[in-house]
Amino acid sequence: MILNLDIVEMGDHSQKYANDSDLKNSFWKKNIRNLPGRASPKKDSKSVSSSASTSFDDFQESVSDAWEVEVEEEILRIADVKISKRIVHSSANNVIGFDKASIEKIHKSKNYSNSDLKGESSSQTDKNKNIENGLNLSEADSNKLSKFQTLLESNLLNLEDLKALSWSGVPVEVRPMAWRLLAGYLPVSSERRQQTLERKRIDYANLVKQYYDTDKDEVYKDTYRQIHIDIPRMSTALFQQTIVQEMFERILFIWAIRHPASGYVQGMNDLVTPFYIVFLQEYLPIGTNIENLDVNSISKENRNSLEADSFWCLSKFLDGIQDNYIFAQLGIQYKVNQLKELIQRIDGTLHEHLMKHGIDYLQFSFRWMNNLLTRELPLKCSIRLWDTYLAESDCFATFQLYVCAAFLLHWRQELLEEKDFQGLMIMLQNLQTQNWTDTDISLLVAEAYRLKFTFADAPNHLTTKR
Amino acid sequence: MGTGDEEYDYLFKVVLIGDSGVGKSNLLARFTRNEFNLESKSTIGVEFATRSIKVNKKMIKAQIWDTAGQERYRAITSAYYRGAVGALLVYDIAKQLTYQNVERWLSELRDHADQNIVIMLVGNKSDLRHLRAVPSDEARAFAEVNNLSFIETSALDSTNVETAFENILTEIHRKVSARQMDSMDGDEIDKVCMKPIRIDATTANTNDSAAFQIKQFCCNASA
Repeated sequence: MILNLDIVEMGDHSQKYANDSDLKNSFWKKNIRNLPGRASPKKDSKSVSSSASTSFDDFQESVSDAWEVEVEEEILRIADVKISKRIVHSSANNVIGFDKASIEKIHKSKNYSNSDLKGESSSQTDKNKNIENGLNLSEADSNKLSKFQTLLESNLLNLEDLKALSWSGVPVEVRPMAWRLLAGYLPVSSERRQQTLERKRIDYANLVKQYYDTDKDEVYKDTYRQIHIDIPRMSTALFQQTIVQEMFERILFIWAIRHPASGYVQGMNDLVTPFYIVFLQEYLPIGTNIENLDVNSISKENRNSLEADSFWCLSKFLDGIQDNYIFAQLGIQYKVNQLKELIQRIDGTLHEHLMKHGIDYLQFSFRWMNNLLTRELPLKCSIRLWDTYLAESDCFATFQLYVCAAFLLHWRQELLEEKDFQGLMIMLQNLQTQNWTDTDISLLVAEAYRLKFTFADAPNHLTTKR
Repeated sequence: MGTGDEEYDYLFKVVLIGDSGVGKSNLLARFTRNEFNLESKSTIGVEFATRSIKVNKKMIKAQIWDTAGQERYRAITSAYYRGAVGALLVYDIAKQLTYQNVERWLSELRDHADQNIVIMLVGNKSDLRHLRAVPSDEARAFAEVNNLSFIETSALDSTNVETAFENILTEIHRKVSARQMDSMDGDEIDKVCMKPIRIDATTANTNDSAAFQIKQFCCNASA
């Protein structure tokens, strides 16, 4: 009985799912050559739409073999474009612009050469290696940086080029400007940029006057109360400063008022943080430790700009995923179902294991989706992940599904070793990412890309290979 | 009293509900890990923890679901009420509004939880004596009228946290045992106690999968 229900539900979603990927597909096909980790595509994109009309029986038949074959083997077999995990990772690393060794150096180094001063990683253990490879690193690093600078300085920026370049990570020096452009906050025409920036900052100041500084309507008082409860609960020292808390409260309150369909939802504060930190770094010498920074030491004017930029970028960023935060959070519920279907297709063993022990995907992946993994990753990793999200533009909502899938699969072995509900839930709620670096994120998004390529751009893979 | 894989006689699912910021997550952290965090982040969706304690010579494993307090999460969190045999309805003794909202939480439970659920009203943050906004007597009277048990706790200084969980688990155990006795000559049992039996067959199903399980059902009933 229950089983039947499940199947019907699955069929129903697969239908939506196929339609969905059909819609989103166009974005991917356009940018194929520009994106890293991309093997030469051979799939006929037309095949996607046919899956939308595939009957449930076909679907079931097409996926039933997933239960019989070992997962890795299955993935290799169905991926007729021959992208293996290993190749994706290495090619992703290549596209990032350097050999893998130098990438690791970038993330693990801190203060060796000029371009080492990225302040992105706190690990100082690999100094000797850094010195050995210092030259390589500088070259590779400044090579990428100069590509960015050339792009950003051009009169009419090619946004697609910027996305392609940013997908694999944005150097800290140019990140604030790159993010403003990627988010669609600033125009591609360089001569209009400064003007727009000034106008938007004034607009924000007016919004603060209009909504925040005046007496708040009764309806909004609940919103304010909720935000006011949540903000002081953000842990690090930086967020214990009243001045920072007030900035966050204004940003979130005004966003909530301007988006009545969703309003403020707990966890959104975590989505402001990456923007805030990135724009904050713009006013500090590169490599400054922000953990113990007194934000009062930044001029009022700069603080206002920082707040306004964070607000507008957050707004742009959330535009694409508003259905996550509307009543009943339907967008998330839908995506959680998609994740379940996807894992079922990719890794039947893991899926069965979770099911056998009564784990419901909603129980662990709701937070992943609601907070875009910010609760699961160290902040610097979230920032690196957002380079990719922002480079995905309107499709990042789709891509996030694959990031979540890749993230779950990353822990596959450990999860399979857990033998009961309790062990699994506790592990899933506390995945050990505290030592993750940007390299882990690069691998995560490369894996997500491989999954998306295999399963979304070509949902008929399983059928056609039979 | 560890949280490991030890044998247990009963598995009870308990939910923690109440307004944002009343200290639900810290009550759970105190009970299951003996931890307290003054700046614990808001709970997103639901979080899970467990601990086993001995009640009336029976090992009881409490599976506790901590829920997000914000109204927006209600649709998600209410799914977790299914199969719960106990609920700790928490308010903040220093915030009148969180006490006023207790009524709304009760009606949430009426709508989504099993009618036999054991509910305990918990006034948390009892350490904030100088800021008290809800008199104990008032809350106790309210609890009596509504047939709830009542206790004041402090997750910060540990006061009554252990007792609160022990009391609710004892009460659940008492209720379940009584019902098991009843069931010897009626089919009343189907309403509550038989629910867990469904679990094994429906692990593929979602929200009630971790519901309410009684091991060695027959032995317990005759014990």
